[in-house]
Amino acid sequence: MNCRERVLTALAHREPDRIPMDFGSTAVTGMHVTCVAALRQHFGLERRPVKVQEPYQMLGLVEADLQEAMGLDVEGVFPRKTMFGFPNEGWKEWRFHGVDVLVPRDFNTTVDEKGDLLIYPEGDLTAPPSGRMPAGGFFFDTIIRQRPIDEARLDPAENLEEFQPVSAEDLAHFRQAAAAARATGRAVMANFGGTAFGDIALVPAPFLKDPKGIRDVAEWYMSTHTRRDYIHRIFDRQSEIALQNLEAIYGVVGDQVDAVFLCGTDFGTQTSSFCSTATFRELYFPYYRRLNDWIHRHTPWKTFKHSCGAVERFIGSFIECGFDILNPVQCSAAGMEPAHLKSAYGDRLVFWGGGVDTQKTLPFGTPAAVREEVLGRCAVFSRGGGFVFDSIHNVQARTPVENLVAMIDAVREFNGNK
Amino acid sequence: MADLQKLYEAVLNGDNKTAVAVTREALAENADPIELIQKYMIPAMAEVGKRFECEEYFVPELLLSARAMKGALELLRPLLAERGAEPTGRVVIGTVKGDLHDIGKNLVASLLEGGGFEVTDLGADVPPEKFVDAVQARNANVVCLSALLTVTMPAMRTTIEALKNAGLRDRVKVLVGGAPVTPQFAKEIGADGYGENASVAVNLARDMVKASSHA
Repeated sequence: MNCRERVLTALAHREPDRIPMDFGSTAVTGMHVTCVAALRQHFGLERRPVKVQEPYQMLGLVEADLQEAMGLDVEGVFPRKTMFGFPNEGWKEWRFHGVDVLVPRDFNTTVDEKGDLLIYPEGDLTAPPSGRMPAGGFFFDTIIRQRPIDEARLDPAENLEEFQPVSAEDLAHFRQAAAAARATGRAVMANFGGTAFGDIALVPAPFLKDPKGIRDVAEWYMSTHTRRDYIHRIFDRQSEIALQNLEAIYGVVGDQVDAVFLCGTDFGTQTSSFCSTATFRELYFPYYRRLNDWIHRHTPWKTFKHSCGAVERFIGSFIECGFDILNPVQCSAAGMEPAHLKSAYGDRLVFWGGGVDTQKTLPFGTPAAVREEVLGRCAVFSRGGGFVFDSIHNVQARTPVENLVAMIDAVREFNGNK
Repeated sequence: MADLQKLYEAVLNGDNKTAVAVTREALAENADPIELIQKYMIPAMAEVGKRFECEEYFVPELLLSARAMKGALELLRPLLAERGAEPTGRVVIGTVKGDLHDIGKNLVASLLEGGGFEVTDLGADVPPEKFVDAVQARNANVVCLSALLTVTMPAMRTTIEALKNAGLRDRVKVLVGGAPVTPQFAKEIGADGYGENASVAVNLARDMVKASSHA
């Protein structure tokens, strides 16, 4: 089996020749740029600065030689612009935690009086900064820019500024990127954007110079309760635009894409959830169903839902509204025991993640503990297919490279060293 | 006459406007601020905590109740100071150095205030020395440390060490919390307790203050 066949077999809930593995095809299945650099060094790959492909979380680009060395099976297609609204191009050198990296041309930063690094929307140093990395930190967080809210004048259009018809430039980019991804022989995961409903990482709009509407995180959460109609109006219009865009994008990428990252809205906390299942079904379910239905009627794409935390209570609804794939499968959260998830939902939902814990085992455990956890997860999740190995969310900075190697080796060991 | 039951309900239902209006009305009628807090607001926040624990309430409801409680408390706070009211305990709270995430910390701070604690919220990305200074300045008996990131968890340890080095460790109870934090980690770094959610943290703080005042 080649990489793509392996992934497609797993997505079809059949057992492939070995467990397929993904690192780097999305912004939630990636690795911190310092970890990518450490792995490149470990595998003795050509010494060159790693590209920071996703500057918000400072994720490193996993290039073909590292994909080969790690045995990865999935290639990502990414939007033209980053989380900070500047194009992912025109690379320049930058030094980060003692590592030489490359950042996009418009990755423009300043240092404030505390030593924090500030980054600017569209790279525009005259606009208020939209991201902050604490001194000595490893990635950015959004700077909340919330104008005072005048209830009488709140207009959903203000929260829709970022949801626009896909441009000719973006379509050309997706056409080229999908073709290049397909040519690698790996399965293709596409990140088109515009289809996440209320993703709290995106609501503050770090990519906009002057975001309006509801942009404060706590205010947004409260609005899901107190301004339900306002949120419905945003989601309704957003989904209309998304459907038109998906149709246009499908027109240029067609069947070169195998799966599509639809939404990264987190519904789970470590021990509970951000809303009830009743709220989920009333507020989110109809829009997810609208997108999933269109995709399944018109394309061969599988759809990918990311949600951290304890989401067991929502999984039945995720499946019912048409999602094919769940990520990151946070087994450490309440009710997310691997054996239960696999037996209750494994015939209808692909688990893309769940391979090893990135809060404890991978960053802080021993290589032996990593091996043990990986082997255990592979045994549970791989039965009957429906599993793509990936750590539970991005590999965090400071994760020892020995642990990453132990993880890769354990997957290989489980696969019979294939 | 202000209907004080409405204050209880406004806090419970997260109705900021009503909570503030009823409090204002009651104060105009010379109501006792301590009674407003102890008879209506603390029980309302206790019920909010219970509903959160049994998953009838979620983060949005918790945020709304906290906002209503804070709105009323802002009117009452100056009067409490005048009367020299003794709080349940004095807490210094913050997200540790390098970590900018504060929603969880804010919820714990609000629930602590709703539980009658005097809360000094140092915000996010707080260096150890700032915790030390605040414990001294506020004569705190509880320190709450929050972290959302695996890369910032070690700053909890350094903060506890800073408290030790300043000779303050025996004077304060240290509670830790945040997504990647576990009871085992809390133990390893020498914390006194771990709160898996905001409601548990408040109960723990209350128990610790009670135990130490009896010791």
